[in-house]
Amino acid sequence: MAAIRTEGLTKRYGSCRRFPLPWREQPKGEDGPVVGIEDVSLTVEKGEIFGYLGPNGAGKTTTIRTLLGVISPSAGDAEVLGADVTDPAALRGAKARIGFLPSVMGFPEDVTGRRYLDHQARILGDERREELLELFDPPLDREIGEYSTGNRRMLGIVRAFMHDPDLVILDEPTAGLDPLKQSHFNAFVREEAASGTTVFFSSHVLGEVRQVCDRVGILRGGRLATVEPVDELLDRGGKRVRVRTRGDPGAVGVGLEGVVERTVHDREVQFTYGGEYQRLLDHLAGIDAIEDLEIAEPPLEDVFLHFYGEETETEHATTLPDTEADA
Amino acid sequence: MPEIARFEGRRRLKGSLYLAIGIAAFALLFTSFFPSVEQIDVDEYTESMPALFQELFNISAMGTIEGFLAVEIYQFVWVLLLPLYVAYLGAGVVAGDADADRLDVLLTLPISRSRLLAEKAASLAPVVLVPNLVVPPVVYAGVLALGESIDPIALLAVHALSIPFLIACGAIGVAVSVLVLDGDLARRGAIAAVFALYLLDSLSVVADRDWIGAVSPMRYYDPTEIMVDGECDLVGVGALCLIAAVALAVAVVRFQRVDAP
Repeated sequence: MAAIRTEGLTKRYGSCRRFPLPWREQPKGEDGPVVGIEDVSLTVEKGEIFGYLGPNGAGKTTTIRTLLGVISPSAGDAEVLGADVTDPAALRGAKARIGFLPSVMGFPEDVTGRRYLDHQARILGDERREELLELFDPPLDREIGEYSTGNRRMLGIVRAFMHDPDLVILDEPTAGLDPLKQSHFNAFVREEAASGTTVFFSSHVLGEVRQVCDRVGILRGGRLATVEPVDELLDRGGKRVRVRTRGDPGAVGVGLEGVVERTVHDREVQFTYGGEYQRLLDHLAGIDAIEDLEIAEPPLEDVFLHFYGEETETEHATTLPDTEADA
Repeated sequence: MPEIARFEGRRRLKGSLYLAIGIAAFALLFTSFFPSVEQIDVDEYTESMPALFQELFNISAMGTIEGFLAVEIYQFVWVLLLPLYVAYLGAGVVAGDADADRLDVLLTLPISRSRLLAEKAASLAPVVLVPNLVVPPVVYAGVLALGESIDPIALLAVHALSIPFLIACGAIGVAVSVLVLDGDLARRGAIAAVFALYLLDSLSVVADRDWIGAVSPMRYYDPTEIMVDGECDLVGVGALCLIAAVALAVAVVRFQRVDAP
């Protein structure tokens, strides 16, 4: 049995969302209006870390909220741990075995972290709490209202994992954590998966998904563009190459197969390279007077560019990635 | 084990206690004014007031300590201020959680939505109960200290019968909360609704169209009647329970299916 299975899952926000009060602003996501999802079909196997990648506003949170029964789908089916998400009684049983960390998590501000965890533990259980608190150590005896963003995140992480869930749904889990805690967290998630926990990991950071996940589903504008193993995604995504020369950079990247989105600015050339490393190095060896060279992981938007090929290339050139994703 | 009601209720305990102490202090201060009010000719004073005021505030009863307390403290604090506050808090239950990004986490707990809502509503209990526990002994002591006397049963009755009344007002707040699912709007809406119901009750009587005010909880809780005439309106208690049940039923039915904002 798959941990998560969706078939044509669709959520549209129509005018009946709550009461259509004309003076009320439309609900906003992090970077724009809340986008629905359209025809999302995916399967997450048990014990797998499934990355759910997309720019802000692509519909990642909408998918998660639909899977958890917080909002109901407009069309399509979804099962979580075998429970139909539109069957509240069945889903309730599944929720006891799910850990959830929302992207923005509110707490009761006037209680201490310890009291909050005690309270949640009486509903969820907390057999792994002490072990987790060794890895993630928010100041438990202080009121949550005094917590920093990082401490709030850690408290949320402990809450999500403390009842030893079979499935963990993490929405942008490392946002707000310092880099050291981030890598602790990512290592922790890998260990959890190794011991059989299924992880649904939503993120807009490619590098993070690359480090942590087995397979990646890419969501864009509410639609699932592709699902594939993380390595293939990176091969397809290519590298971001930046070359600065002392003289005229005109020849850099010209005639090399696999170069897209080449731009020249002053003595600097930038392009995305999707071919083999060796050929790139051979090509660069033929260039005179390279002053500076950088080959880096492409930004998520460039991976998308590669995926959607020519048809979105012009779109990319003229609009910002985030606004485009919300369209 | 209603863990959410227990947790949320405890968080309201301190505030409810401060509220009760404030009301008790206010009640003592007003009680201390009674000797000077007693010296004026209440009948003459009453006649000088417009008929509407006499009817609305039952001023003629002010010559006795029971009537004075009923008009100056209970008609004002228990019939107007406290219900407004309880409705305001009721309006914050799920809508306030939604505003503070807490609702998603609550909805993903393995408990049903109706139970979540019921526990959230039940967490209003301290605000309803604590003032009714703290204030009566203080008022009683204050009356005795003035050398006056008051029937303790009447005093207890005015507080006990306020409980279904405040529950009905809280339930109206909860219903507004679920219908609107926007904390600020729900709180303002609930205050407006309860104040409108207060006006509806009194004005419909004045306008000789009593039946319009029958939906108002204020119709079924009259401290002056209880304290001065010693009447306990048990049918009224039934009506208040009905108002609360209808409001909560509306809230539960909508909350079952609604998309969290």
